[in-house]
Amino acid sequence: MQAVRAGWRRLSRDERLAYLILLPALSAVFVIVTIPFVLVIIQSLSTEDGTFVGPLNYSRALANPLLYEAIRATGVYALIVLPIEILLGLSFALLVHRTVRRPGLRAAIYVLAILPLVVPPVAIGVVARLIYAPGYGVLNVLLERYVGVHQEINWLGDPTLAMLAVASVDIWQWTPFVYLVLFSGLQTVPRESVEAAQIDGANWWAQFRYIDLHYLRPLFILILFFRLADVLRVFDHVFILTGGGPGTSTQLLSLYMYRVEFKFFDTGQAAALAVVVLVSFSLLYTLIARVLPLERA
Amino acid sequence: MQPITRREFVKRTAVAGAMLTSIPAILEACSGSSPTTSNKPSKLTIAAVQGAEDGPLKKVAPMYQSQSGITMEIVEFPYDQLFEKLVTTFQANGSSYDLCMMDDPWMPKFGTMGALQPLDSNFGFTRDSDIPSIVYDVGTWPPPHGPVPPSEQGKSQHLYGITIVGNVEMFMYRKDLATTPPTSWDDVLANAQKFNKANFYGYVIRGKATNPASSDSLPILWSFGGDIFDTSWKVKLDSTESIDAITFLTQTLKKYAEPGAANIDAADRDRLIAIGQAFQSTTWPAEVTGVVEAQGVSQVVGKMGYIPIPKGPGGKGLGMMGNWLLGIPKGSKNGSAAADFIKWLIKTENMKTYVQNGGIPTRTSLLNDPTLGQNNPYFPALAQSLAAQPNWRPRTDQWNAVETIYGTAVNQAVAGLKTPKDALTGAATQIRTAMKQAGYPS
Repeated sequence: MQAVRAGWRRLSRDERLAYLILLPALSAVFVIVTIPFVLVIIQSLSTEDGTFVGPLNYSRALANPLLYEAIRATGVYALIVLPIEILLGLSFALLVHRTVRRPGLRAAIYVLAILPLVVPPVAIGVVARLIYAPGYGVLNVLLERYVGVHQEINWLGDPTLAMLAVASVDIWQWTPFVYLVLFSGLQTVPRESVEAAQIDGANWWAQFRYIDLHYLRPLFILILFFRLADVLRVFDHVFILTGGGPGTSTQLLSLYMYRVEFKFFDTGQAAALAVVVLVSFSLLYTLIARVLPLERA
Repeated sequence: MQPITRREFVKRTAVAGAMLTSIPAILEACSGSSPTTSNKPSKLTIAAVQGAEDGPLKKVAPMYQSQSGITMEIVEFPYDQLFEKLVTTFQANGSSYDLCMMDDPWMPKFGTMGALQPLDSNFGFTRDSDIPSIVYDVGTWPPPHGPVPPSEQGKSQHLYGITIVGNVEMFMYRKDLATTPPTSWDDVLANAQKFNKANFYGYVIRGKATNPASSDSLPILWSFGGDIFDTSWKVKLDSTESIDAITFLTQTLKKYAEPGAANIDAADRDRLIAIGQAFQSTTWPAEVTGVVEAQGVSQVVGKMGYIPIPKGPGGKGLGMMGNWLLGIPKGSKNGSAAADFIKWLIKTENMKTYVQNGGIPTRTSLLNDPTLGQNNPYFPALAQSLAAQPNWRPRTDQWNAVETIYGTAVNQAVAGLKTPKDALTGAATQIRTAMKQAGYPS
């Protein structure tokens, strides 16, 4: 205690004030994040009745082949949605940035882009089911009527197509988020730099490569962080569209963990899974932050 | 008026404040707070499943309210959320609900948790000869017949739930096209072959992963002599009979089934039947009343025949129970009033009103009542199914896990991702592991 007091006295007045101002926020983080995490760790080392079992729940969780199927499905899902969302969002942002000059039209596009983000995922899942469902799905009807595809396509019953179907919903909902972030980033590009490049004869690709990208780079990291976290949380529309099927082909990590907790009622294994996933993603995020430059060069 | 000192003013204010703030506590004390109190509460709260199952309950509850003066509040949840909500409420011994609707496969979980108040010893419920014994058995824990979970052996049996939705899985077919009803699964196959044509499917498989695929296939599994467990909890899902049953469904019958069967749930099945694009399938009573026989919704009203589950190679056809029960949570402070409501609801005259409002009865006299049968053509089949002692899903608190594994395996077979043998062998291994971890014989 004396050491703490001595340390506190060594701080300057400004530093003490800074720590005091930070205290409420840190306390909130402690209560909301740290305490539940510690409880999850305790739960992951115990049985339902509280008996300490050491790493047993971890070994059970890691020995379950369904975990690796879920990781694989989540990886495939991320590999489909992330690049497509980033490329599409970037394209829209560049297109609007360079071609749309009227503030009213820009505002209208902004509102349109917000809409998918505020629709509840459950509602999106239900609508997507009306699109892809066997028998009455709108997509098959349109394909038959306008493309001449008479053989009904089994969108939700084939593992590959089912994965593409659930991914398409994610792409529809979250591409606007990427667009909004990158579009706001493009607003920060100094006009003088662009004009100077244009006078030097830089084409659109050179402007993008050497000017715009320079300003967008930290935003890509931000998008990657946010979207990776979202991919881990994807649940509603997958649950409604495929229920994780056919088989376990679209059973993503979140759905798998939900089933371990609420279907198997295996709280120990579910807690162990939560810790494993949290630690793994913390490491992944650290790696991404180190490999990719956060600051502008 | 006599002036008072500041000290006197503070004193009087403190006394008055203390009295005012004590009023709620005094009222609460007067109203009684111990579980199963006999005092009449002002309100009873029911946790109910959202959908066709609780619709009739919502219609008759106001009648009880006007007769008893007790406000009836029905809090609805979708199926999965209701189960999760009840489990978490029971774990906390919460008093949020005085009554809860329970699907019968949940009874082992709630029975093992000791989450409910016994209706027989606490509230004097006895068996009524007009209600089939299986209906009381399904609300009794530990189960009166069949294997008992190891942790529950030796416990005394009590009635914890009273069925208010007498669901049993049945079979429906187009009686306007077939002259005689199918009596065996061979007949079902023959009809599927005969009537299958472009845009008209000989059979509808409800094959979506987990619960749908499990519910759809279990009657076939049992009728073929297969099962998930034997009488001593040994897994027999990889037995020849079980594999034959799932092969019959997912390969033989599937040739005449709708495309995309691996993603078909009950609503999709009902749609196919109701728009006249399919010949036959298994069904639940709520699907019949809600869609298939609903005027203005269905194109096949009056064209469907309803029968108990057809017989398998061994000569037995086994339907599956899917009763919805009402129970009283242990944490409820209004047990006696809640019990009075259940007793009121199952009285013959009240159950008749309940049926007239779309309810599914358990009383044999009502199931065989010709006036009620006119609007409910499946009642005779339901009465026969109940009288024939339908199977219930294995009475284990691990059922949700088992159903998820089994229903995923059947879905894999329906989707053609695995052969029936591989799917069931893999599921059997997973179920053995899960059951062993839960303390069952491996």
